[in-house]
Amino acid sequence: MKTVLFLAALAALHAAAAARAQDRFHLPLLVPITGALALEGQSERDGALLALDPPTAAGDAARPLRPSHAVFDTGSNPQLAVQAFERAMAAEIRPRAMLGPIDGNSMLALLPLAEREKVALLSVSGTARLTELGNAHIFRFFPSDVVVKAAQARYAVQELQRRKIALVYQNTAYGQSGNEQLGRWIESLGAAVVYRNSVPVTTKEMSGVIAQVRDSGADAVLLQLHSGSSALFLKQAARAGLALPIVGGSALHQPSTAALLEPAELKGVCAETASAPAADPGLAGFARIFRERMKSEPDAFALAAFDAVNAALAAARMPGPLAESLAKIRHPGLAMTYESDGKGNMAHDAIIVCYDGASRTPRIAKRYARPHEAARR
Amino acid sequence: MSGRARIAAARAAPLSLAAAAAVALLAAGAGAYELRLLAIAGCYALAVLGYQFIFGRVGALSLAQGAFFGLGAYASALLALKLGWDFARSFPAAIALAVALAAVVGATVLRLASHYFALATLAVAELMHILVIEWVSLTGGGNGLPNVPGFVLFGWAVPRGWPVTAFVWAFAALGIALAANYSRSLYGDGARLLRAEPLAAAAAGIDAAGRRLAAFLLSAAFGAAGGALYVHTLGVVSPEAMQFDVMVLILCMAVIGGRNAVAGAIVGALLLVHLPEWFRALEGWRYLAYGAGLLLVIVAAPEGIAGAVEALWRRRLGNTAAPSGRTLVPDAAVPAARAAPFAEDRAILAVQGLAIAFGGNRALAGVTLFVRPGEILGLIGPNGSGKTTLLNLLSGFHRPDAGRIFLDGRDATRDPAWRRARAGIARSFQHGALAGDLTALDNVALAAYGIRARAADVFRLPGRDAKRRRARDAALSALAKAGAAGAAHTMGADLAPAERRRVELARALVAEPRVILLDEPAAGLSDAEKAALRSALREIAARGIAIVVVDHGMPFLIPLASRVVCLDAGRVIAAGAPADVIADPEVRRAYLGAGAVL
Amino acid sequence: MSWAQIAIDGLALGAAYALVALGFVLILNAAGAVNFAQGDLVMAGGFAAIALASALPLDALPVPGLVLAPLVALAGGGAGWIVAEVAYRPLRHRPPVAVFIATIAVGIMLQHGANGIFGAAERRTPPLVSGDAVVVGGVTLSLQSLAIVATAAIVILLLHRLLERTQLGRRLRAAAEDPEMARAIGIPVRRLTALAFALGAGLAALAGLLLANVYFVTPTAGLAFMLKAYIAVTIGGWGSLRGAVIGAFLVALFEVAAGRLFSASLADALLYAALLLALLFKPEGLFGEAAGRRA
Repeated sequence: MKTVLFLAALAALHAAAAARAQDRFHLPLLVPITGALALEGQSERDGALLALDPPTAAGDAARPLRPSHAVFDTGSNPQLAVQAFERAMAAEIRPRAMLGPIDGNSMLALLPLAEREKVALLSVSGTARLTELGNAHIFRFFPSDVVVKAAQARYAVQELQRRKIALVYQNTAYGQSGNEQLGRWIESLGAAVVYRNSVPVTTKEMSGVIAQVRDSGADAVLLQLHSGSSALFLKQAARAGLALPIVGGSALHQPSTAALLEPAELKGVCAETASAPAADPGLAGFARIFRERMKSEPDAFALAAFDAVNAALAAARMPGPLAESLAKIRHPGLAMTYESDGKGNMAHDAIIVCYDGASRTPRIAKRYARPHEAARR
Repeated sequence: MSGRARIAAARAAPLSLAAAAAVALLAAGAGAYELRLLAIAGCYALAVLGYQFIFGRVGALSLAQGAFFGLGAYASALLALKLGWDFARSFPAAIALAVALAAVVGATVLRLASHYFALATLAVAELMHILVIEWVSLTGGGNGLPNVPGFVLFGWAVPRGWPVTAFVWAFAALGIALAANYSRSLYGDGARLLRAEPLAAAAAGIDAAGRRLAAFLLSAAFGAAGGALYVHTLGVVSPEAMQFDVMVLILCMAVIGGRNAVAGAIVGALLLVHLPEWFRALEGWRYLAYGAGLLLVIVAAPEGIAGAVEALWRRRLGNTAAPSGRTLVPDAAVPAARAAPFAEDRAILAVQGLAIAFGGNRALAGVTLFVRPGEILGLIGPNGSGKTTLLNLLSGFHRPDAGRIFLDGRDATRDPAWRRARAGIARSFQHGALAGDLTALDNVALAAYGIRARAADVFRLPGRDAKRRRARDAALSALAKAGAAGAAHTMGADLAPAERRRVELARALVAEPRVILLDEPAAGLSDAEKAALRSALREIAARGIAIVVVDHGMPFLIPLASRVVCLDAGRVIAAGAPADVIADPEVRRAYLGAGAVL
Repeated sequence: MSWAQIAIDGLALGAAYALVALGFVLILNAAGAVNFAQGDLVMAGGFAAIALASALPLDALPVPGLVLAPLVALAGGGAGWIVAEVAYRPLRHRPPVAVFIATIAVGIMLQHGANGIFGAAERRTPPLVSGDAVVVGGVTLSLQSLAIVATAAIVILLLHRLLERTQLGRRLRAAAEDPEMARAIGIPVRRLTALAFALGAGLAALAGLLLANVYFVTPTAGLAFMLKAYIAVTIGGWGSLRGAVIGAFLVALFEVAAGRLFSASLADALLYAALLLALLFKPEGLFGEAAGRRA
């Protein structure tokens, strides 16, 4: 009898200890708060913070894991990102996962470290390359460029029936990666790229670009620019009377971009994105809470980070290494349902939002489920 | 401790402190994070050491150092990724590429004056940045290239962790040794004078353009070395390594650390890599704190941390005027003077119809005169008559608009200043143009005749500097002749005005000139000192050296000169025996008209 | 798109660059110091305008920016005064590179202060004058661009009068040319140098207000303005006020024209290539000192 009691007590203690260990989950957030990608990085951080500290009263029961976090600025620079990673690894509780910076260069630098330290890297970066290197520890919760560019190209070619495309892209990692993907998709859909222009972030006057677009005889413009350059292009295109449909990258869905323009300047402009929390009625609850807590408008990067952190928390409750759990999990996030394709891509859907010229809030024009697979057929 | 040894100790102390600190950090159970920071700091330290050559010692604001760093990174990474070269091959190749680029750029833009040179190097740097971003097929464009291998040498990979950090710092240590070689050599002394008194350096035979080019090439080599080490430590190559922020960082490290001290580069690199990390607790505000920190440091220590430490040490050690126990070297050890006996009536220096105008001002309007070996020619004239301009033309600081200059029968009009100096024209300046941070002995030694310091001296083994020893021997002898042997170990900045003149005279003598041009050598001297100077000059002339003296003090000049020429408004108005010239009514009119006292 | 349109577009950009470059040269002449924070002061001016705009009820006004302009310029002036006291005065007898580093530090503080307070998103300031563009003879003139050119012209004229025709201006120039002599004849050199900084920073802030409506502003925008000002001042002739203005217009026109003919990245590269050529063939600039070859 005593033996049984003793063994039972031992088992109970062991279970309690295991539960307590499972209780502590530390998630460092490595995000660019300064530098060229600070806008997206701050958004990413805010979404993650909301997931780590949700304002639910029924929190504790639903959250047996008491997650702790730390924010590390990666400065839009791979060197600083690596330094941040190593500093994060030295935390009291060894991280099993980290939220990675949105800039592809920094992510590429972190991939070998994550693999070595067996840390799952959650990513909201679209750079296609990240999941082409055979790394088992990256989990991308934002659709890859392959996906969103397919949606962007399909919308322009199939939905708007355009055949002669002008491609204006930023001369950064983001722009070049998108340009590459867009070019392939446009051609595979039977249309032609009649004009290309690589634009630095510092360019202020776009009149030359707009004139060249006109001269090229294009019937639609696809943009792969960051927020500022996108807004400049739209503003100056409207002023110059460029009456072509414009389908842009995710920067054009960001509320901060629309805030720079008059609604009339947005007429006929569409953008690809993973989600549009500020515009989608189905995400109104999230948007409201985000606005209250973070005092700013949510965008797709914030929502992707939010979903990523929740997925990680869910996977952390499963037994076994976190990376394996994430590879198997099917997570119903707010933006979409996330499931790995075996290479670390968790998000496979995209949407197109369009502005009607009357307000700065776009509406969802089309939803694409796995557009990169459909387009290949 | 002897004076010189004390100076050496003062200079070495900060270096030892910094090195000790670095070692202590390493030894203090450093984890991956600390080791990473140290490794990065080591890469930047090399870049800053290189930058000190062009920015610190030569004093030219180059804005291309970040680009050389990036070029080294890209070159080494691309060679490894595309051609499979290991570090033993990609490293020297990256350095060679950077040096080649620096040679092309330097040959074209180094002649520009300071801010134009800066802008030109900035343009080159920005062009390179745009190039690596746009040439997507080679460099991966904005995304860069991942999976850059670590340090692989002949098939053996340097293991992760402290071996990598030690590997990087081994190169940094090599860089430190080379930079120390540079600064403690005759070549480095020449650079100090070049920075402090460019004209005097030219007049002492230092080829400024050659020095600048060598410094630029060295800076490129070190920068590329730092970049190559950086990229293999980081594992990815991307345009962030080439952007202007890197240049700003290197510049700040150099100035905050101390742009002329080798230790400064180490301190600067270590500090500015760690400072933002220390402020990480402030999250988004940490760079605000970093900026405030930078501002505080530069205001508190404008000469850099190393400079401030050195100043403290020097105050503690007191004035290092104590002479060493060295005995004077007898004359016999100095090679025979170049000024071999000439036919007395053949001019060693002749000038024909020399004219020059600055803007609208005609400084010289056709001057013809000559000096014979062993002659002391006095040059007088009211203010603004062109005396100093004439000396400057003779020295070679300007090209005349018209006329010719003959040195020993050869047309030297087109010779740059340093070539004239090596051909035998020496010069002293009104304010005593010495390098403040060199001893009188070293100030003189750098001009020693026939002992040419070269950039290759940087690569010698430390401790064996025969050149410098010979030059210092010659300098000691020259100082003795000029009557300034006692001041040999005083720092240039601490010399009294009279001593400065004599040290300058010694510098002129050690070059074994055929002609010495003296600009106001007696100004500010007491009567006794003037008399001593006069007899020293007579002795020098007696050995066959021609002397041209410009001075306002007639009581000094008249007894000294064998002949006098008077200038007014850029022309010669009288020439001949001293007494005759000052009695000349033209001369009196020129002086009285200008209000000067005869 | 006609070349007339290109000229008009370049004009507004050039006017704003000119204000930045002028401020840069003012400080350069007064203190012998290269103010690396000049571009960041432009950025700070833009954000100051945004902060002020949210505090004041400007929507009702037809000329919202016009009310802001003097306020922003004053704020910039105040910032310039502080920079002079904190970054220049303690270092004025030191090698110029120390001041250079101090201004770099100030720039870093401005940039990250803005990032922390306002966030990284691009923002825009209220326009000087509300209203749409007018089309004249096939050329679209945006009202704001016209307003920028007009404002810049007025400010440049006022500055010219200040420096050339007033006692204060003469004293400023004297203090800049020969501080020792000026001090000896009783000119308050320290205060005038601070005033020069204030003027330079005020110009930058004003430029920020104007630029941020048309081209938006973000905390990292400072460096690009700094580089353009540096280029403009150098090709115009180092230290020449007239040269700075003309240099600024040249840079802007080149930017717009090259952007019309080539890809935008290539236009960027061409600017630097043209700069190199200009330096090699005419290093003293258009109006500047005879920099030329070394001895």
